[in-house]
Formats: sequence, structure tokens, C-alpha cells
Amino acid sequence: MNNIDNISKKELEVIAEVSEQASRRNFFKKTAVYSVSALAAASVVGPTSIKANEHIKANPEDDPHIMEEKPWALKWGDDVTVNLYGQPSPYEHKVTRRTAEILSSGNMRASIAVSPIQDLSGIITPNGLFFNRHHGGTPTIDPNQHRLMIHGLVEKPIVLTMEQLKKYPNVSRIHFLECPANGGPEWRGPQFNSIQFAKGFMSCAEWTGVYIKDILKDLGLKPEAQWMLAEGNDASHMGRTIPVDKVLDDAMIVWGQNGEALRPEQGYPIRIVVPGWEANLCVKWLNRLEFSAEPFYAKEETSKYTALKHTGKAIQHFYANEVNSVVTSPCPEKPWSDIKVGEMIEIEGLAWSGMGTITNVDISFDGGKNWVEASLKGLVLEKAWTRFSLMHKYTGKPMLLSSRASDDAGHIQPSVKNERAAVGIEGVYHRNAIHTWEIDAKGEVTNVQILS
Amino acid sequence: MCKSYHKKIVLATMFSSFVFLGTAISAETMNTKGFTDREINAVGSAKALVSDSVKKTYEHNGKLVVDGGVVYPIVNGKTGAYHVNEQAHKTAFNKGKVATKNEQKAWDIDVMPDGTGLPEGSGSVELGDEIYEEKCISCHGDFGAGAGLYPRLTVGNAYELQKTLKNQRVEPDSDGPQRAFGSYWPYASTLWWYIKTGMPHQAPMSLTTEEVYALSAYILHVNEMKIDGEEVDEDYVLDREKFLKIVMPNVDGFEPKINGTKGQDNAREYFNNPLNYGNGVRCMKDCFEGEPKVQRIKFALTDFSPPLSSEKVLPEVKEEKDVHPGKSNYEASCAVCHATDAMGAPAVGDKKAWEATLKKGLDAVIANTMSGVNGMPPRGGSSLKDEELREVVDYMIESSK
Repeated sequence: MNNIDNISKKELEVIAEVSEQASRRNFFKKTAVYSVSALAAASVVGPTSIKANEHIKANPEDDPHIMEEKPWALKWGDDVTVNLYGQPSPYEHKVTRRTAEILSSGNMRASIAVSPIQDLSGIITPNGLFFNRHHGGTPTIDPNQHRLMIHGLVEKPIVLTMEQLKKYPNVSRIHFLECPANGGPEWRGPQFNSIQFAKGFMSCAEWTGVYIKDILKDLGLKPEAQWMLAEGNDASHMGRTIPVDKVLDDAMIVWGQNGEALRPEQGYPIRIVVPGWEANLCVKWLNRLEFSAEPFYAKEETSKYTALKHTGKAIQHFYANEVNSVVTSPCPEKPWSDIKVGEMIEIEGLAWSGMGTITNVDISFDGGKNWVEASLKGLVLEKAWTRFSLMHKYTGKPMLLSSRASDDAGHIQPSVKNERAAVGIEGVYHRNAIHTWEIDAKGEVTNVQILS
Repeated sequence: MCKSYHKKIVLATMFSSFVFLGTAISAETMNTKGFTDREINAVGSAKALVSDSVKKTYEHNGKLVVDGGVVYPIVNGKTGAYHVNEQAHKTAFNKGKVATKNEQKAWDIDVMPDGTGLPEGSGSVELGDEIYEEKCISCHGDFGAGAGLYPRLTVGNAYELQKTLKNQRVEPDSDGPQRAFGSYWPYASTLWWYIKTGMPHQAPMSLTTEEVYALSAYILHVNEMKIDGEEVDEDYVLDREKFLKIVMPNVDGFEPKINGTKGQDNAREYFNNPLNYGNGVRCMKDCFEGEPKVQRIKFALTDFSPPLSSEKVLPEVKEEKDVHPGKSNYEASCAVCHATDAMGAPAVGDKKAWEATLKKGLDAVIANTMSGVNGMPPRGGSSLKDEELREVVDYMIESSK
């Protein structure tokens, strides 16, 4: 708030300055001093248009932002040719993806930038804020030179240009993509006092493309085909094995994301979307699908993306991201420090399941001992983010705020204790235990885990 | 040639991607699957923990859904919430052209456990060591022991360390499971495939078949592995036939079993039992005894870039400076090693290190840049031209004054 006040004050000073200036030339000279504000710098304010309401005498309880005319309302704004590809308000420039060195595999070309889920509304992530993980950097692919080959155990192996691919009938579906390491740094306990880093390895978008099963209609998939390799044409040439069952259900090759072409960091010109499953399986910069009778054992399905259990055995081909949820408001980045005792406030959050549709979300204020059911709100779609909401009268007392989601496949989010008992603490991937925020008497929020 | 690398490896194993944290698994009585009587009572019976609703089948073959989830067949023109033009999914559209044999051969780069895709050829540990020193050491450290956050390629004797995979770091100082190629990966084919198509990281697909065999041999060597009973020692020469005899110590370390004609069926069975990977109980009241046991952050990770902030403010106005012509190439090709001294390279900004380097004279520094020096490959492993490299060196010197 302070910064906004400061800037506004400066802008008001500019205007005060203007009223004292007789010449426009002097005006420009003076305003240049205040170039901290792009708005002020662009001002062409007439010296007489300062206050329509100057006859009102302002009292201390009056909001100066109401009593003073705002500079942006006293002049022309930008014309329609400014930002032909639109940009967010400059005041929103801190809403960005973020990364941390600890999340990289050595350099920033094999790393992840996580999504600011604390700042998002609804269930759609804007393309510029969609989380972004790659293994060899983001390539800049010329779509005219890009090809998709489908071969292996098919009667007719084919190659498609991007234009040919887009001539298949398309479908649009809203699905989340989640890195299976979302929450993975916290198997042994909480480490990030941030929702963006604790849970932001995911995003949700509307994807447009073609079901792979529709392309396979005239290729003649051979009966012994059990697996499909999907491979990208980036520096990592990353491949993953997908079971044919999923290919014949809802796996898609997509070129559209939220109404526009995929961004380069999301796989431009095409990627696979394997709804609900590990985002790592949703191979970007896709250029090859090969069908086989045996699994391929690519690097990212052996060395990584396998979950080592306390038995010493590791889960491989760990497909679906299990049912999960997190309260997004409040959270460490959006505390309740400005909420007064007795005030009504909405507890809001995201629930999702890669295995189906969210059926309900429960909220606990005492670390999971007792629960009440929250409302779902907005669209409730399979394998998509689902918003939940609960109205709360703020007591100002410390609390342990948890959420627990269930899905229509019958899966329920485990407690930390249940999950550790099932798989141990070295799994890295697929951590979906109940998430808890501790809220102190000041309304500050910290990341904790409940071991009861 | 291959001095004792154990010391390096011990150092590397002390490094972990994530900070060690203590943890305490609840001591409250629980059954073998991790549920308390209280939780089981909340849902009626233990059977409910493995929900009967987790038994959905695919439309196309009537078999259990492979991931243990739900499918949404088209009913009355809709799948789930979405309307569908069913005609779209009943017709063949016949786009594209048939892929020629050559086109398929050119792109078929994968290598499978049975040797599919593995070319004839050979390479020695000795050559592998040379290539490793030239092209790999700057990231993967001495003898594959890892460096910084770059992956380690070995943690020592593969057979011994495979036994650590049950370890759990329940206390900050307990030994964790030691995961690296030798101790963890099920098949060596993955190694060959990955080196060939993904390495060196900044120049993938640049190694010859012989070089890939040689590097594979070297990595088997530093993992102290045997092939067909024979130790992969310093004089070992690996070829296709020998490669296909490699049995990784952890070949049986993964579930579900996906090989063979029952592969997908095994996955179906596994993922339709959520107790294999954890499930919860929808208990609503009085779900555990006493007060909740709270685990708080012990070592907060806060190295966030950019720093967290939700302020609605204008960006700071940056003054435009003249940008050094070497800056962008430095950042793209050289910063990986020269940003810090972690790789033994003089760090940009380290005045003393650069004064020491420049004692050789600028010409010598330029010459070393072109030909490589210590751990640095020729041209830093980049494909920059002479003039561009000179600009980069000038930029690094200017930035270190």
C-alpha cells in the first residue's frame, strides 16, 4: 500500500507542479524528473483541468484517492496500437513464475520455474504464468520445418506436417498439468514457506488438439502394441513410455493452449497432453511416437520419475497424479494479517485429481482432528483444477488449517502419516498428503506438516 | 590413470539436493498399511480403505483402467461435461504421408534393453576416461562423483550401494538411499541412449558410436561393475555383445513389472490397489488422539528468484547502459562454469583469480580459451567463433576488475 501511496503522491505533485507552470515546455522539463511513473511521463495535462470537485473541502477521514482526481483520468490513455500483443498492467509485474537454484539439475536449462498459484483466480492459468520445466532448454522451433512421425507397430507409419496435423478434427479440454515432484522437496518435512514453491509445480489450461486414437484410425495399430514412446525434438530429446490403453482413451496431441498457440516453453509447436498423468509424460516439442511390444526405459522413467519406497523397491510407470488439494487463501504469500477479529473471510483453495473428478473437499481448523465440508465452486471438471470455498468468521486465534480432497475414483488424500506409512520418505515423486498452514495470532501463515 | 576416486565420491554423497530433515513417524498404533483403528472405524471396515469404486474399466477393451482412475465414456453425446461430435471419432481422416524407411531410421534414436537400436561398435575405458576429462568433468565432477547440483554418475560400488535403497533419512544424519546409475538404474541401455542423445548437455548428438561405448565403459568402471563375471577395469574394452550381457544390480528393484505380454495388466493390478502408493480415510470427527503433532520448518529454503512479493508497484526504471558485445555469449556458453569457482574456473567478478590468470598474459589466456585448459574443453565446449571468444574473454576481464 505504501508504495502505491508514494507514487500517487508523486503524481499529485506533478499535477500541482503543472498548475503553477505557464509554459508547456517547462511542464515537460519538470515531469521528466518524475519519470519513475510512466503515467506521469506520458502526461499531457492541461493546466486548468485539475480538480472538478475543488469546491469540496476534504476532511481527514476522506480518502484522498477519492477526493483528488487521478492523473490517468485527466488525459488520453494509450492508443489501440500500443501492445498489439497485450501485456499485464505494469503494476502486476511481480506476478511471475519463479525458480530456486536448489530445484535445478545443475543449470537453468534443466530446471523448473514454478507458477504463482497464490495470485491466480479461477481454474485457468494464463500462458505466461504456466509452470515451466525442461531438461535441455527451450528450443525455438520453426513450425514449417517441424514434423511428427508415428511409426513402430502400426501397419502404416506416417509423417505429418503441422498443417496436416491441424486438419484432424480437434477437441478442447481443460486439464491441469502437474510435475510429479510437486511438493517433492517436503517428504521429510516442510521446507518452503511459500505456496508457490510448496505447491506451484502445476498449472491448468484449456488444451486444443487431436486425440491420438483418432489419428490411429487409419494407421492400423498392431495387436501386440502395448506401449508408445513419445519423444521431443529439444536438446534433451526427452522420451517417455505411455501405455497404449491411455493412448486409446484420452491422450491428445495439442497445439493450442488457452486459445492461442502453445508458448515455446510449453512445447511449441506441439506437445502431448496425457490428462491427469505426470506432466513429464506430456512430452513437449513432440516429433515422434513409436509403438512397441516392450517398454522403452527412457532416462526420465528410470533414473528419475520413479518413487523409491521404504521397501527398497521403486514405483515405476507411476502414471496419475493422485487426488490433492491446497488452501490458496490464506497462504504464506497471502496472510490474514489485515483481517480483523469477527470479520467474515473466504477460505479458498484448489483441488485436483489425475484419476478423475473432485467430489468433495473437507477443511479442518485443528490440524485434521475434525473436519467440515467446503463448497465446490465454478466448473467441476475431470482431471482439472477445482476451486473450493468456505466462509469463515475470523477469531484471531492460532489455527492449523488443512484441506482434504476426494475424487470419483474413490481416492482420498492421505494424511502425512498414512502416506509415509505406505511409501516412506524417500520417494521424491507423487506426494499428495494433506497440506496444512499454521496461522498465528497475527494472521501470519507458515507451512507445517501434521504427523498425527 | 584412474586414481582412487573414493575420496571424491564420499564427498559427493554428502551432498544432497535437499536439506536433511528429521522426521518422526507417528507412534500411535497402526496396522501394517498405516491406518489406526480409529481411522478404520471411521469408514466402517478396512476394506473401504481400498475403495470398491476404484474398479472402472476402459470402453475399448473392458479392462481395468491402467492408472487406477476413472474413464468417461461418451454418453448421450457427452463425455463428462464436454459435448462431442461423435462423427469426429468414428471416421478415418488419412492425413500426412507414409514415412519412408530412411526417415524412420534417421529418427529412431532410442535404445531398448533387448539391444534394439544399439549399434555395432566398441570403446575402451581408457578412451572413455580421456573423453570424460575433456567433455564431462566440468559438470559431473572427478570420476563421475557429481559437482554442484549436477547429477553424480556413481556413488561407488554399484553392488554394495544397491543395498542402501531401503535406507530412509528419518534423522538428519542418517544415511539415505544411494541412487546413481550403478546402484539404481534397471538397464544399461538407458545409459547408452541418454549419452548418445542427451550428452554433452550443451552439445547433444555430437558423440560418435565409439565415444558413447567408451563413455559407457568408463561409467561402468567408476561404478565398479562387472560384465559376465569380469570386472570392468582400466583395460576393459566394451562392445555390443558385452554390453548386452550387462546385468544391473537393481534390475528387479522396480514395481509394477512392466516387461512381457502382461506388462500393462501388471500395471492395472498395481495401480488399482491404492495401498501400494497411499490413500486416506474420510474421517470427519475426532480423527486422532490428543493434540496434533506439528512438524515445522527447520531449514527454510528461501533462495527464490525473483524474491517473493505480492506488491502492486511499477517496475524500477532501469537505466540503459552500453551492453558489452561479449555479454550474451558469455551468459549462453560460459556462465555455467565461470559464474562461480565451483568448477575450478576463475569466477567472473573474482578480481584476485583473474589477476592470477592474467599474469600469463592476455595472449596466453586467449590461446587457452581456444585450445582448452585444465577442466575446460576447447572453446569452453562452445561453437563460438574466434572473434566472439575474444569478446567474451574481454567481457570476463572487464567484469572482474
